[in-house]
This record gives sequence, C-alpha cells and structure tokens, in this order.
Amino acid sequence: MISEKEVRDIAKLSYLKLDEAEIKKMQEDFSSILDYVNKLSEIDAAKILETANLSQEKNVFRKDEPERKSNADILKLMPHTRNGYLEVKKTLDND
Amino acid sequence: MIDLNKLTVKKARKALDRQDFSAKELAESFFKKIKNEDPKIRAYLSLTEELAMKQAAGADKMIASGKTKLLTGIPCAIKDNLMIKGERCTAGSKFLEKYTAPYEATVIEKLRNEGAIFLGKTNMDEFAMGSSCEKSAYFPTKNPQDLDRVPGGSSGGSAAAVAADMCVFALGSDTGGSIRQPASFCGVAGLKPTYGAVSRYGLIAFASSLDQIGPLAKNSEDCRIIFDAIKGRDKMDSTTVDTFVNKDFDIKKLRIGLPKEYFGKGLDPNVEKSVREAIKFFEKSGAEIKEISLPRTDYALPCYYIIAPSEASANLARFDGIRYNEMVKPELADNVIAFYLQNRQAGFGAEVKKRIMLGTYTLSAGYYDAYYKKALKVRTLIKNDFEKAFQEADVIMGPTSPCLPFKIGEKMDNPLEMYLADVYTVSVNLAGLPGISLSCGAHQNLPIGLQIIAPQFEESTLFNVSDYFEKNYKI
Repeated sequence: MISEKEVRDIAKLSYLKLDEAEIKKMQEDFSSILDYVNKLSEIDAAKILETANLSQEKNVFRKDEPERKSNADILKLMPHTRNGYLEVKKTLDND
Repeated sequence: MIDLNKLTVKKARKALDRQDFSAKELAESFFKKIKNEDPKIRAYLSLTEELAMKQAAGADKMIASGKTKLLTGIPCAIKDNLMIKGERCTAGSKFLEKYTAPYEATVIEKLRNEGAIFLGKTNMDEFAMGSSCEKSAYFPTKNPQDLDRVPGGSSGGSAAAVAADMCVFALGSDTGGSIRQPASFCGVAGLKPTYGAVSRYGLIAFASSLDQIGPLAKNSEDCRIIFDAIKGRDKMDSTTVDTFVNKDFDIKKLRIGLPKEYFGKGLDPNVEKSVREAIKFFEKSGAEIKEISLPRTDYALPCYYIIAPSEASANLARFDGIRYNEMVKPELADNVIAFYLQNRQAGFGAEVKKRIMLGTYTLSAGYYDAYYKKALKVRTLIKNDFEKAFQEADVIMGPTSPCLPFKIGEKMDNPLEMYLADVYTVSVNLAGLPGISLSCGAHQNLPIGLQIIAPQFEESTLFNVSDYFEKNYKI
C-alpha cells in the first residue's frame, strides 16, 4: 500500500491539490491499480525494443512558412487579457 | 409513411436526392425526436440547432440544383471532444464549460465539405476517461435499450444518439475501446480506425499514441461511407498517412482467427454464446475458423494503464485555469502556483485526477524504467503477437466486451472492475490496428457486440467481412 506521504508527493508533482477525503480515497485506488499494473514485472523484456509511437519510423518534416493569423478568437477565450495580451498573476515575488 | 429518424446514411442520401423530403424536414424531424426522447436518455450535452438549420437550408439549395455530395443534408452527432468552430466544446469537463472552439477539427471540416449537418455535441466521460459515460462532469447518459443501464463509454453519448435514432450517424474517439465498447452496449456499429488513418487535429487529446477518431452508425456500410469521408493524410497531424490496403474478398477463402485468450475466464456466458453463434455463421458460410493465441492478452490492460495515464498527465498539464476557463477568481489565490492548484482542484473530476497522478508517478524519476519504459517494451510484444497471428489469419474475431451493459452505479466504486470492461479492446489500440464492433445479438434485450480486428490499414477487409455478416446473418 502506498503511503499517505507518497500520495501527497505525487499530487505535488502533478500540480494537484487534494483534500483529506480525496487523499484517503486516492491512496486506496492508487494502490490497487499499482498492484494490478505490477503484473508487468512477470515479463522479462530486458532485450525488447520500446514502442513509443506507432507512426512511421522516420520524421515527418514540413516547410517552416510563417503565416499571419488573427489572435482575436484565441484572446476571446482567455479569462483576463490586457492590451491584446494574456494577463496572469505575478509569477515573481519581490519581497 | 417512412420513419425519417431510422434512415441509414445510404437510404437518406437516396431519399434526399429523390426529394422525398427536404434536408430541412429531415433535420427538423431529428430535433423533434431529440426534444421528445433525449430528456430521458441524455445523449447530448448541447444542440447546435442554429448551425444545423442554416446548413440544412444550404443543403436544400444544393439538392435543388442537383449538385449533392456524399453527405449533403445528412444529420449527425459529434462527440464533445471534437471541435466545431464557434460551438461549445467541453470534453465532458467542467474545466471547459465555457470553451468555444476557435478552430475546426479536420474531421469536422471534411464532414462539412461533404455536406453533413451537425445536430449537436454528445456526452462523454470527462476527457474520454471512462467506460460508462458516468464520469461525465455533467450527467450520465442512459442506455436507450434499458434506461437503468450505462451506454458504455467514453463515446456513450454518440452511441446512444445513434441507437435511439437521434442522429443518422455520429463521430466518437477511441483510446482503449471508447468507440467499440459503447457501440456494443447500444447495439450499433462502431469503427476504431488504424492509428494514422484519420487526422486528430482538433480532437482534445487524451493519450496521443493511442487516440483515433471513428464513426458510430446503424451498420457497417454507413461506417465505411463515413470512414471514407474522414480518412487520409493531413498536414496538421503528422501521424497520418495514405497507405490503405485493399484486398480481394472471398468468404470461402477467409481465415478467421479466434484468440483462445478472448474466450476465457471473466467472459459472460451469454456474451460468449452469441459471439460463438456469429462465428458459426462464418464457418457455415465457408470461412476457415482457427484457434490462435495472443499470449500477452493478460498484460494489455496493465500496459495500457501505464501508457495512457502517462500521456494524459502530459496532455492535461495545459489546463491551468489561465488560458481556457477559470474555476476560481484569481483574487482568491496568493500566487500563481496556488491559482493553478485551486483551478485544477475545482476543474478536474476524481477519475481525471487519478489518471494524472498515475501518469505523473509512472513517468517520475525512479519509476520511469520500472513502469513507463517497461510498458513500452510490453507494447512491442503485444504488437508482435498480433503480427504473428495475422500470418495465420486474415481477421481476428471475438467479443467486444466481456460483459453485458451494466447497471448505472454498479461499477462506480471499483475502478479495476470498470477498467476490465475494456479487456478485449485495449490491445487493438496498443498495436495500432483497426477494429470494428457489430451488433450480433442480445440477451434479454441487452445488446452484444462482435469485434473484428484486421491488420493495419486494412479497414476495407473489415468492411467486406462486416457487410457480408450484416447482409446475411439473421439475429
């Protein structure tokens, strides 16, 4: 069983905030899923190559051609904008 | 008097071209049906009625001038993780409750160019993470065959809309079975195309190495029409190619492989009976039936539950409350990090949080090799198993789902039991193969699906076999 502290650590890495009830439930669900996926340890795959992607084996390139598009539609979706820019809370503390 | 809502794509095309009724009348009859039936089924998250009626007027002009295309005037439903420009798109999540699609998905553009009419957006498990439509952040959809039961998921709204005659066809997406399993539960046909056959541009991503978009329809013939309309290379999705394979079809020369692992422990005997009867039909028709083995079947689901959450944890990192929608007021957070956390806490449902956590864990330093890397290796073995099987068989058949449509709430508290509903479908995504689910019978009115799997880019083989089955098999 995964510990409560581990759940808190993973939540932090995931940028998720969980309340106490969620942590408890997550601890149970998470542990049962990990037990289940641990089944993969039965397979010896040391010499097997990984399949990360199913598309063609070579890269697909395109020409890098700039085009001008209006960003008005995108800006409209953002909750806070100022002078045509996305507005966010300050990210650096000066004090 | 024909029932307009029961028409297939093919029949609707003929009737519209003969001007038996107008595109406007056809669209209106669907909205009428939706308004009567959907309050109890709840397949739709939103209706795009204004858009649809405008499209229908345009379609009638084209019909009058004799210049119709493949889908001119034919109404369809779209899963709510596919973007129709200017319409709401939520992916079943509260996080996107107020999101309006700023651009059009390639599949939508293709359907629009063929003249299809968009009736609305269908319900789904949040970000396509679920097998029952109960994990939608809005409401659960009900199975039209039995309102106490789930329609399957995650494309449950699309499957229910087709089954309840609330659209002619629908689009869904399939990451581990999300088209085929609901098609099976609702008694309709659903195709998961080969990885790379259909562009995902404009699909809200779940797990990018597994996601595919495909049709749900009344039969396989319609699935073929829709697939032909949406497939092909797109410069906006570099995984897409045009390497489709067409082989001659002769039922007497068809070799059908039955994986012994697909008929083992955990399979509902009523599902097994119905699927075996369907296979007997192929045998009587002259096809060769052979038992094959996909030895790593038991490892497919564990493999999937490492790879899919890993990719999801990366894809869902973009939901920060700043760019798309905010769940809390910025004034309430002390700093930007606190603001992200508050948004993500309020915006994501429990299942989504769990999968983000799982994926973050399996990708984290110290666990990456043991989980993620290991799963990618097992994925290679699963893919190899299929390649070997296709040396002995032209297609593989088995049940789509191990169980009948279950009761709403029945599996909500047990995540593993819910995941097992995808046990026969996930390997197909891991190997990137095309698979179709066809209705092959029912037990006490609950539909049962037959899954047919073909080698990569052999959708035409799937359709040839499916058409033969649907035209000749009496359920």
